[in-house]
Amino acid sequence: MEARPVLRQLTTLFNSCSRTGQTRLQSSTRRTKKALKLPPHPAAPSVYHTPFKFLPPSDPRRQAQLSSLLRSSTGLAPTAAATNSTTPAEREVPALGEKHQVPVPKFNVTREQVAEMRALRAADPTKWSVVRLAEKFECSKLFVMICCKASAEHQARERERKEAIKARWGPIRSQAREDRKKRRTLLLRGEL
Amino acid sequence: MTRLRLDRVASQLLAATTSPAARLSRPSSISRSIPQTCRHASLFNTQPCQRRHQSTAASQAPLEEELVLEPQDGEPTPEALRGGPLPSPHPSRAASSAKLAALHARLSLSSKIPVETLARALVDPSADAHPKYNNANLAYVGSTVLHYYASESLIARYPRLPMSILFTAMKGYAGNPALHQVARAWGVESAAAPGEEVDPGLLQFDPMKPTVVMNKWGYVRAETVESQKFKSGKGLSGRVVYGSNPFGESSAAKALPNFEVDDGRNTKTMLLQNAPANAHANFVRAVIGAVHMHCGRDASKNFVKSHFLSRTLDLSNLFEFELPTRELARLCARENFEAPVARLESETGRLSRTPVFVVGIYSGRDKLGEAPGPDLDSARVAASINALKAWYLYSPGQVGVPSDTFAEDAAPWKPAYVDIGEIIS
Repeated sequence: MEARPVLRQLTTLFNSCSRTGQTRLQSSTRRTKKALKLPPHPAAPSVYHTPFKFLPPSDPRRQAQLSSLLRSSTGLAPTAAATNSTTPAEREVPALGEKHQVPVPKFNVTREQVAEMRALRAADPTKWSVVRLAEKFECSKLFVMICCKASAEHQARERERKEAIKARWGPIRSQAREDRKKRRTLLLRGEL
Repeated sequence: MTRLRLDRVASQLLAATTSPAARLSRPSSISRSIPQTCRHASLFNTQPCQRRHQSTAASQAPLEEELVLEPQDGEPTPEALRGGPLPSPHPSRAASSAKLAALHARLSLSSKIPVETLARALVDPSADAHPKYNNANLAYVGSTVLHYYASESLIARYPRLPMSILFTAMKGYAGNPALHQVARAWGVESAAAPGEEVDPGLLQFDPMKPTVVMNKWGYVRAETVESQKFKSGKGLSGRVVYGSNPFGESSAAKALPNFEVDDGRNTKTMLLQNAPANAHANFVRAVIGAVHMHCGRDASKNFVKSHFLSRTLDLSNLFEFELPTRELARLCARENFEAPVARLESETGRLSRTPVFVVGIYSGRDKLGEAPGPDLDSARVAASINALKAWYLYSPGQVGVPSDTFAEDAAPWKPAYVDIGEIIS
């Protein structure tokens, strides 16, 4: 019984002596992967449970959940998330920041402003970048890109600049970027 | 509007073969003495190359007439008359096959279905091209019955499914891979090669010969060939309009087994991809067709329900989104809900290597979905995906289907809830 740990130490010593380079430890790859592979939490909400708001008017469950109906119509009751908390202030779930929300279109740019935006972009596309124009006219970058189109030379210059930046990336950063893309695909497929 | 008479549909297909006694009393050598070329011509008539595809047996009618008129006097030996072995076992051997009897008993088929019909269901058109001895007609009836019950149950149970998911779900319930699995679960084995001498209880098909792809609707639109040539109609609307099978695939050029084509470029798309799966699936469809023809509509409905619609298919795994947050915002705008807001329900380890954020999506005071994630943005996207899935996978529960009203004493049909359509973002 006492011999086993001693033997194991002896074998590891022998192994480390026999191989001069790095040894690939099982504990560092397989176990880490296995530890990261978590099943969904049993209390995670199922997508087959339709939220009250998504029930069509013809559904009998709408009439059955009178409390939800009242809450939905009056807006007085707390959110569904924290039913066991006590005060209304605690029950309020904080919203994420503006950059984590779907932008609401403001429709604040007039036709003359669009013409001005196009003129600025055509005059000096380097100075009046998409970001700066979006800041100036208080609209989204997408809207700026819908309105204006940069010249072919400017687009080529920007592309070259981007290529130069990408050329400086080493293998680790390129791999990390590719992994991020793969994770995004998996996320949209619901497999992450 | 008159009722659809599903039990009368396609009754002409089996008119000549429903009575096994009559079929057995016929001298088999007559119909078996067709010259090889003629039989191949008959096979190609059953292919979907004709634009308006009617029942396969109807197009065979002139050929059958011609066959019956062949001279049958004289007493030569049957082998000499037919000039070679039969392509598939003689129907009279079906009664003595233990495998067939076992299969019949294993499926708990009614005694109204003779083992000869079951034996015929096991003969693929690639093994025996003669339409009276292969399962093409039975499989056509079976496929229409199966597709009808599968689609009506899917739409009644999940009235908000997007079209692409509906197509995929139909394929999951009634497509070739699913039916192949069912056939294997039924314990059907295939013969190494088709021939007269094999056991009639084995599935007989030849992967090197043309066969019938049994997943088309009644007819193929004339524009389909053009659209395939110019690679148009590949989007979802194109699949709805030009798709000629219930899975939204246009099978006009793909399933056309034009074996005379010597252009190597086209052979890959022309040839059938998975011949064993197709043969197994056609057998399963033929069994459904046999149940429908011999036992009636209710029996076939029960058979389809218990063997196919009872299988588990997780629809929530079929979804793939592109812009889920925007799609959810468009949905809320369409349905006059408040705009969706992402809220942080809980978090742990924000500064650690593996943080977890639980983000919920709210519309007004109602929560639409929530999900955990390693960062705020992925958690928000996952929560939006969950909310969209909850919308699309709404189910009114156990509701009636239109085929319930086929019964004589059925209550009048109450319109079921079906959503106006998918969200365009």
